Amino acid sequence: MKEKILSKHFVLENFYKIDVYLQKKGYQAVKKALNEKTPENILEEVKAANLRGRGGAGFPAGVKWSFVPQQVDKPKYLCVNADEGEPGTFKDRYIMSHDPHLLLEGIIITSYCVGIHTAFIYIRGEYEAVALRLEKAISEAYKNGFLGKNILESGFDLDVYVHRGAGAYICGEETALLESLEGKRGNPRLKPPFPASIGLFQSPTVINNVETLSNIPSIILKGAKWFCKKGLPEDGGTRIFGVSGMVKKPGIYELSIGTNLKDIIFKHAKGMAEGKKLKAVIPGGLSAPILKADEIDIKMDFDSLVNANSMLGSAAIVVIDEDTSILDVLKVVTRFYSHESCGQCTPCRIGSSWINKIVRRICDGKGKNGDIDNIIRLASNILGNTLCPLGDAAAMPILAIIKKFREEIESYVSN
Amino acid sequence: MKIIIDGKELEVEGKKTILNIAQENDIFIPSLCDHPRLAPFGGCRLCIVEIKGRKNYAPSCCTYADDGMEIKTKTPRLQRLRREILELILSEHPNACLICSEKENCDDYKSTIRKVGETTGCVLCSNNGRCELQDIVETQQIEQVKFPSFYRDFEVKKSDPFFDRNYNLCILCGRCVRICHEVRGASAIAFVNRGSQTVVGTVLDLPLLDSGCQFCGACVDVCPTGALTERAIKYEMLPEETKKSVCPLCSAGCELKIDLMGGKILGSKPSEDGAVNRGQACVKGRFIIRDLVYSPRRILKPLIRANKKLEEVSWEEALDFVTRRLKKYKGKEIALITSPQLSCEDNYLFQKFARERLKTENIGSSYSFSPLAVYHEMSQKNQLGLALNFKIRDISKAKVIFLLGEDLAVSHPLIWLEVLEAVKNGAKLIVASPNELPLNRFSSLWLQIKPGSEFHLLSFLSRILIENGGAGRLSRIEEFDSFKNSLNKLDISQVFEITGITEKELIKTARLLLEEEPAAFLFGMGLTQHPWGSQNVAALQNLALQTQAQLFPLGLENNLRGLFEVGRNYPDKGLAFNKIIQGASSGDIKALYLAGPMPYLNKAKLEFLVLQDCYINENFELADAVLPATTFAETEGTFINEEGRVQRFKKVVEPVGDAKPDWWVISQLACKMGNKGFNYKDVSGIMKEMSKVIPGFSNISYLKLENGKEIFIRDEKKRRKSFIPLKDNGPLYKTSKKYPYLLFVDYSLDYYRSLPLGRESLGLRKIRDSRWIKISPEDAKKLKLDEGESLRVESSSGSFNGFVKIIESMPKGTISTSLLWSEDSDFSAVSFFTGFFQEENALGMLPVKIKRGK
Repeated sequence: MKEKILSKHFVLENFYKIDVYLQKKGYQAVKKALNEKTPENILEEVKAANLRGRGGAGFPAGVKWSFVPQQVDKPKYLCVNADEGEPGTFKDRYIMSHDPHLLLEGIIITSYCVGIHTAFIYIRGEYEAVALRLEKAISEAYKNGFLGKNILESGFDLDVYVHRGAGAYICGEETALLESLEGKRGNPRLKPPFPASIGLFQSPTVINNVETLSNIPSIILKGAKWFCKKGLPEDGGTRIFGVSGMVKKPGIYELSIGTNLKDIIFKHAKGMAEGKKLKAVIPGGLSAPILKADEIDIKMDFDSLVNANSMLGSAAIVVIDEDTSILDVLKVVTRFYSHESCGQCTPCRIGSSWINKIVRRICDGKGKNGDIDNIIRLASNILGNTLCPLGDAAAMPILAIIKKFREEIESYVSN
Repeated sequence: MKIIIDGKELEVEGKKTILNIAQENDIFIPSLCDHPRLAPFGGCRLCIVEIKGRKNYAPSCCTYADDGMEIKTKTPRLQRLRREILELILSEHPNACLICSEKENCDDYKSTIRKVGETTGCVLCSNNGRCELQDIVETQQIEQVKFPSFYRDFEVKKSDPFFDRNYNLCILCGRCVRICHEVRGASAIAFVNRGSQTVVGTVLDLPLLDSGCQFCGACVDVCPTGALTERAIKYEMLPEETKKSVCPLCSAGCELKIDLMGGKILGSKPSEDGAVNRGQACVKGRFIIRDLVYSPRRILKPLIRANKKLEEVSWEEALDFVTRRLKKYKGKEIALITSPQLSCEDNYLFQKFARERLKTENIGSSYSFSPLAVYHEMSQKNQLGLALNFKIRDISKAKVIFLLGEDLAVSHPLIWLEVLEAVKNGAKLIVASPNELPLNRFSSLWLQIKPGSEFHLLSFLSRILIENGGAGRLSRIEEFDSFKNSLNKLDISQVFEITGITEKELIKTARLLLEEEPAAFLFGMGLTQHPWGSQNVAALQNLALQTQAQLFPLGLENNLRGLFEVGRNYPDKGLAFNKIIQGASSGDIKALYLAGPMPYLNKAKLEFLVLQDCYINENFELADAVLPATTFAETEGTFINEEGRVQRFKKVVEPVGDAKPDWWVISQLACKMGNKGFNYKDVSGIMKEMSKVIPGFSNISYLKLENGKEIFIRDEKKRRKSFIPLKDNGPLYKTSKKYPYLLFVDYSLDYYRSLPLGRESLGLRKIRDSRWIKISPEDAKKLKLDEGESLRVESSSGSFNGFVKIIESMPKGTISTSLLWSEDSDFSAVSFFTGFFQEENALGMLPVKIKRGK
């Protein structure tokens, strides 16, 4: 792909500084949006661009914004979900550390569109350096009049705050994020009501992923049509694929939505490391059901992966080679989710912890007949039976691994 | 709308969850985390149901019914899933007995001593028989748990008062956390850790004592398992019987359920259908009732002084003795002290006895120090006819609440709940207090006033409202001009100097007061205790007129109102409480009949002292006759709570020893002294007479009350709207070089009759010891005082002892102590104040000096 939307300037030195950013025609989108467009125009444009959420669920951003009630006597809020916690995912970190002003532009335009005057960037606690860089970028933006009162003489006000999480995966779930932002324990809320009507501090709230918002400036500058062409008609733009695991060249690759997974691994990431054979791929972060080596001839977009019983999720591709024991993969998956369950719903809290205990036992060579069926039963009971998507996220990969590699796991149990 | 549950078509009105609808229609859906007082949680997942057209099962506790929904609650798949979820819960909960095939036989053979280090099954659990998990397992036919039992090995928390926390039995339903947060507003506990390590705990794992817990016991009451259990009855069997009663320990009048075994009280719990408390109580009603009935200080037998010693005698002898001795005195030489903790019937008989037999009008009580007394007198004096009744529930509907002179967390826990509900619904709360109160956490504005400066605060507020809001329609109200002129003397530039509040804060307060309605002004003894208490209330009444607020006088004792209503029937007033004390000291009063609290009388020149009480107190040794009285649980009658609600309470247990109801003692004495008018068989006869004799009681009948009718005492009818010109009483309490600290009193009402509750309940003493002298950290540091050290407080009028308690929120230069009527004389702040009893209603504050040691 010739022109990138998000990672175009990642290679430039000091691009995170506003001087360099402005030299490269930065903040043009904000100027265009605030000076030439009405909020309604912007909403139409974003809707037409078919920009789907990059956090994992793939909900169209424009539609989400349109759920926010127009006339309310409460303030409205924007929360930027930068709690990039899905194992294997590191795309937002790159955007925020290399191109923070792109995100800020996205925030300003979105806030202008929805009528928001306060935005929070909820960033995961471990991203300390990134948070500092964001704060620096925000203060630069204030100094240059892109944030604060009466931005670019347009009469629009916006304040942006960085809020650092404390290291819980669940806080990436949007309602748990709101709880955490309010200073409470990050437990998910019951839905409905949805955050668009009752969100942060009981007020209407838009929650978008970093990558989603970073796409907004180019939609404003170049239009929805151009953006759609970058991807698929119903799923516009590009994705930043984060490739990790046993490939020659791991890293982030910004490619059109719908790029073939095989090409990403073998062309862009230069194939398997050390000449090993491919065993399996996790295509969209740890919670995405695993694909076997013979299933990777697939287009990387939301719908194609759903049809293959997996999901695009955060587009984090984890490549597993023939030398890796699938049991180790299962152990990592189960340990992670049993540790990160918030503890509210019984099936997820106790179920995931039993699965982890059983897997650990198998790893210790003490597997028993019926263990695998027990894991399947426990995981199936979690599926669709918890408040928030974490339960599903825990159960789906476990079920897929067992379904696709049952023989291998059985061999560990019987030996 | 119509919905179908299990093929049954149901008509539903309003927004309701599927679980609620099912419960209303006797369709059983198991649930462990849902609770009627709490917001839906959706955690336990046992209440899942199948809804036609939905991919996933829905938790019925947090899914609201929609028109046309078709719901199935008992499909085989659902049942299986429920069983498996229950198995998961059981895998972390000692379950041996739940699934044991021999459990039916076990009950017959198990030993009764179950005090064990580790609970492994129901038989060994203190909650056996009252466990919701046990009940649910019963309904789900669990035969085996497919997982090995996993013991989480949490340390059992036993260091806090009243209840143990054994989180090995916890199923994380979250009810305790939610009731503490949503209903009680204490937020002392929360979930800590995550995943399989999730557990309920306090901040930094501190003891509850240090985590803001008020020990109301609400968490214990909602816990479905044995994780939270009341320590005192932990290994008791199930109660044989439960009877209803009314708590006598504050003016809210919580309805209690008293559990009984073998005719003795096991414990007390709030009644879910209590009109006032709706399932809530406080530490006193929940944990102390049993202790006060079975206190070792109870007086068991009548005693009379013979040969200089008190000797046990029969009731007949004691009554004859008292009759004989009382007859020697002329009316004016006799005085009686009654109590606002006694029933209306008791108090009526005291009044009647005093007037008809003893021919004296000298009948006093601590009523005169209550906000109700000050409020009513102010109303009378100015012919305002202000309403004394109010609805406690109205507080929760207020949009602005202004609170003065009361720490609700301690003295009015039920009112605290109403205020909290109002705040939750968006009300603005303004608190005026010198020290930081727990409730301030919920306030929009805290006015940290100088102690005793309420009058000026209120006057300044009135003036600001007049100046900024203009007079408008208010000027048409009577006395507006003289009221306005009386405010002219105030110098606004001095406001900070006098009250400690800036002009800016005052303007903000005034704005909040005007912004929304309805407004509720709550005030307690902190406002009325001063010699100028009446002026304080007048100033508050003026402000209420300006802002269209309703006044809520919050008294302490449970039957203040009843005592007042009985007393107001007699226009002739004898000596008031303080004058009786002075009379006893001067020798003008020769015979004193004590049925209510009274400071130590060691300096009194009395010839004859009768003590009619439940408990031995320091006046016991001075008494010539001691008559053992029953507690509320051993007798019956009516109380009238602070809102004017008439509450019937019945006998719950047989009296301890030879104790007799107060009304019985009086009627017997009266019968011995004359033969007419005191021949009552039971309290109903007294009430019948009262309803004829006292206009306020004319609408009261036991029959109606027992049939569940809500009856409120008749209230003032002739209201008159008028401002009251204010009189500035000059400077506040002034400290001096000799007496550099200002002492004020906490009104905790931690006593029942003459028993300081902390004396009987070690738990309560840990929470708030009546012997604590609270002091700020700065002052403690300056004086090099350590927590718990002995401290002596001296003023120009006396001295008392106590122990240092360092409290962050105490303002510098002040100390405070509890007001107890009959604590050991050495520790009794009230005897210290007796020299200060100049004004009828005033207890006031005092400049004092303090020094280490006794």
